[in-house]
Amino acid sequence: MFSKLAFQNVRRSLKDYSVYFLTLTFGVCIFYVFNSMESQYVMEILLSANKGMIRVILQLIDVVSVFVSVVLGFLILYANGFMIRRRKKELGTYLLLGLDGGRVSALLFLETLLIGVFSLGIGLLLGVFLSQFISVFTAGLFAVSIPEFHFVFSPRALGKTLLYFGVIFLVVMLFNSFRVSRQKLIDLLRADRENQDLKLKSVGASVVMFLTGAILLIIAYAMLLVRGILRVDNLFFLMLALGTAGTLLFFRSLSGFLLKICQANKRLYYKGLNMFLLRQFNSRINSTYVSMTVICLMLLLAIGITACSVGLNNTVSAITAENAPYDVTVRFYCHGGDGAEPELEKWLAAGGFDPEQELAESVRFDIRQVELEPLTYSVGDREYTQTSLDAISLTDCNRLLALQGRTPLALTEGEYGLLWGTYMAEESFWKSLWADRPVVVAQGRALLAGGDVQAVVLTGDSVYSSMLVLPDALAASGTLSSRNLVGNYAPGIDPEQADERLAQAMGNLVPRDYDSGGNGYGYGWDSRVQIYLQTMGTKILVLFLGIYLGIVFLLCSAAVLALQQLSQAADNQNRYRVLARLGVEERMRDRSIYVQVFLAFFLPLALAVVHAAVGMTSANAAIAQVGRVDSAASSAVTAAFILVVYGAYFLATCWGSRRIIRGR
Amino acid sequence: MEPILNVENLQKYYGARGSVTRAIDDFSFRVNEGEFVGIMGASGSGKTTLLNCIATIDRPTAGHIRIEGKDVTGLKGKDLSRFRRERLGFVFQDCNLLDTLTAFENIALALTILKTPAGEIEGRVQETARLLDITPCLNKFPYQLSGGERQRVAAARAIITRPALVLADEPTGALDSKSARLLLDRFEELNGAQRTTILMVTHDAFTASYCRRILFIKDGRPFTELVRGASGRKDFFARIIEVVTLLGGDSGDVL
Repeated sequence: MFSKLAFQNVRRSLKDYSVYFLTLTFGVCIFYVFNSMESQYVMEILLSANKGMIRVILQLIDVVSVFVSVVLGFLILYANGFMIRRRKKELGTYLLLGLDGGRVSALLFLETLLIGVFSLGIGLLLGVFLSQFISVFTAGLFAVSIPEFHFVFSPRALGKTLLYFGVIFLVVMLFNSFRVSRQKLIDLLRADRENQDLKLKSVGASVVMFLTGAILLIIAYAMLLVRGILRVDNLFFLMLALGTAGTLLFFRSLSGFLLKICQANKRLYYKGLNMFLLRQFNSRINSTYVSMTVICLMLLLAIGITACSVGLNNTVSAITAENAPYDVTVRFYCHGGDGAEPELEKWLAAGGFDPEQELAESVRFDIRQVELEPLTYSVGDREYTQTSLDAISLTDCNRLLALQGRTPLALTEGEYGLLWGTYMAEESFWKSLWADRPVVVAQGRALLAGGDVQAVVLTGDSVYSSMLVLPDALAASGTLSSRNLVGNYAPGIDPEQADERLAQAMGNLVPRDYDSGGNGYGYGWDSRVQIYLQTMGTKILVLFLGIYLGIVFLLCSAAVLALQQLSQAADNQNRYRVLARLGVEERMRDRSIYVQVFLAFFLPLALAVVHAAVGMTSANAAIAQVGRVDSAASSAVTAAFILVVYGAYFLATCWGSRRIIRGR
Repeated sequence: MEPILNVENLQKYYGARGSVTRAIDDFSFRVNEGEFVGIMGASGSGKTTLLNCIATIDRPTAGHIRIEGKDVTGLKGKDLSRFRRERLGFVFQDCNLLDTLTAFENIALALTILKTPAGEIEGRVQETARLLDITPCLNKFPYQLSGGERQRVAAARAIITRPALVLADEPTGALDSKSARLLLDRFEELNGAQRTTILMVTHDAFTASYCRRILFIKDGRPFTELVRGASGRKDFFARIIEVVTLLGGDSGDVL
């Protein structure tokens, strides 16, 4: 009988507070997904390739998870407190019927247990399911093909989720029992008669407050835009304080301000339920402005973190793709020396890596240093003089361009071309050189600037990709600087295994044929996988961390808003009954409910978006110094993501409120 | 002359087969324009059910209710809401003012949902407020008003739309005797000067003595009817008490 009652209660709560269960389930799901990260296929590769940094970041996820569990814990406590408050009368009735306090506590204990088991179960199932997708997604990001379907399951993450949420639910259970045992029966039974706090502040004061808030916000924005986001000093904290105070005042006074404006416009004010709506909103603001402020700031964090990490990541992946144009690059530096193997392919085959079999397409080319008549150029205020530069022959250059699928460079006899890598520091020098399109005298022969500049990483390495393109004969007369082989793996070859074979071959060959470091020789090799792992590995984890925090903040804000609105809906039940009796149609009443929920959801989001836009402008300025941020695309991704999560909560709240108000 | 309200063979049964409660059993009566009619009966006699049926809040099991010749028992959804806001005014025991709106706004709301032009609203609210003597309270919120003032605001809200019929359910139920007297004086004046048709349900003989005619209801059936005629209120009150005694109401129902 006892457990049957608990079951029934849970079932009813599931209907009334579906938002609460959604949040619990999502919380568990996200917690599991991010904690199971390290058992993913890609992460395993990353771990083996780039141990130190990845280890640190996975540990960071651990630390962040503690923080996240505390945040979720508070959210659950809040939501639970709200549910208990709504059920005071019911609990009072149990006590009145002679159930002693201990039994009622036990009942709540059982209910919380059921809810916990239920949401944990579903959340974990969802989490395991979702992590399969994430696994495929990350593999795609790294351009790693997963050999076969690899079921990702992390017992450690499972245990951790169970432990953390177990503790949270235990705290909630204890909290519930404590709450009930402290309550007086009379207070429980008369809970719904409690007078609401209806202290209405003067409307005139709110206009002053609104203007003050707006001014504070403008000052904070101006400080942010002028000073930038990276200078953390006392003024920075002053700016944060101003922004927060401004936000607080904004929400504290907004409803009053709106009311004042609408009251001045009689036609708007005396139209349909507008008057009722505005008053409703205004009457609530005393109890909601603090939470609106907190929610606005949480949303700001969610938007900011997500947008920045997505934006930065897009940039990084774009750069990475440019930096790794070929599957593999082998390079011998032999400044002035002639000892380098004339045919790298044969040499590598001898070491156990046969380019004939491994590579589907490849290009071997030389880079030579040519003597110049002193060439003077200026970067900024400083002048430089160059007497020699690296050069590549036109034929090699066009073969490489063809390998990348780009249009060839067209030069006539007597012209030189220019290649730019994407290596930032060099770019400015080459840029200023090309700006003049000077006549270059290379190896004693004068050449005109010809063709367009090719801004590509042609040699498989951005650092060594800026050079002159010279007619074949002229290029060949220079001193050999390096001999290179680039290529793409043949289909059916597993890139990672091939990389290993290459590494082994190089390891075998170099010590045999060359004393490494001596005689001015050096060697190097890069592969696409390696470059991805090096440049993207940490960045992607940062992205995951950012999105993890972003989702949690977003989830918390939306859930708190939803619960607040649902609790208000219960309070509003009576008011809407009066409206029905006055003859307000159901459609009009529904619309009024939606508008109320919409205002509560939209206003914090709107201000948070404005905050975030200003913040991102400032952040972009800072990031642009080290790279480019694709802010339009990342903003779109973030907006879509937030709209989906936030929108789902908004709709759920609309329906829930309507259900409660209609009393069904 | 067509009566404002015509109730014919009204029946309202509760419960399933086997244990039927007949809250109203074959009840018929008429209210003409400009009348001030009271319905009296002990607790559980069916008077509130009757009023709820007329107010279109509840739906009768059988019979017809015609207001200004229109059968309201068949109205649904939108038409019902429209009828309610255009033709009926309500005053309830628990006044049902919206606590988030000022008195003025509470009264004005009845007009705004009728899509009354904004320019007209303030004048009409002021005028109605004068009638009910609540002009000083207009800018206060319900929690700042006394019970009597609140009921008069509710009455103002009920009559401002110039309804065909004002329905009052125990309007003095929660008031002290002085406030009750004030409210009823206003009702009497509205009825006398404005020719507002009022149907009031009460179990209180003093309140009922303000009516021009009283229908007594017992166990869902009409019991008797009293008409005040030319007699004074005290006289009428004494006659009511007699009937109440006959009805078998306990002493708590008598003032």
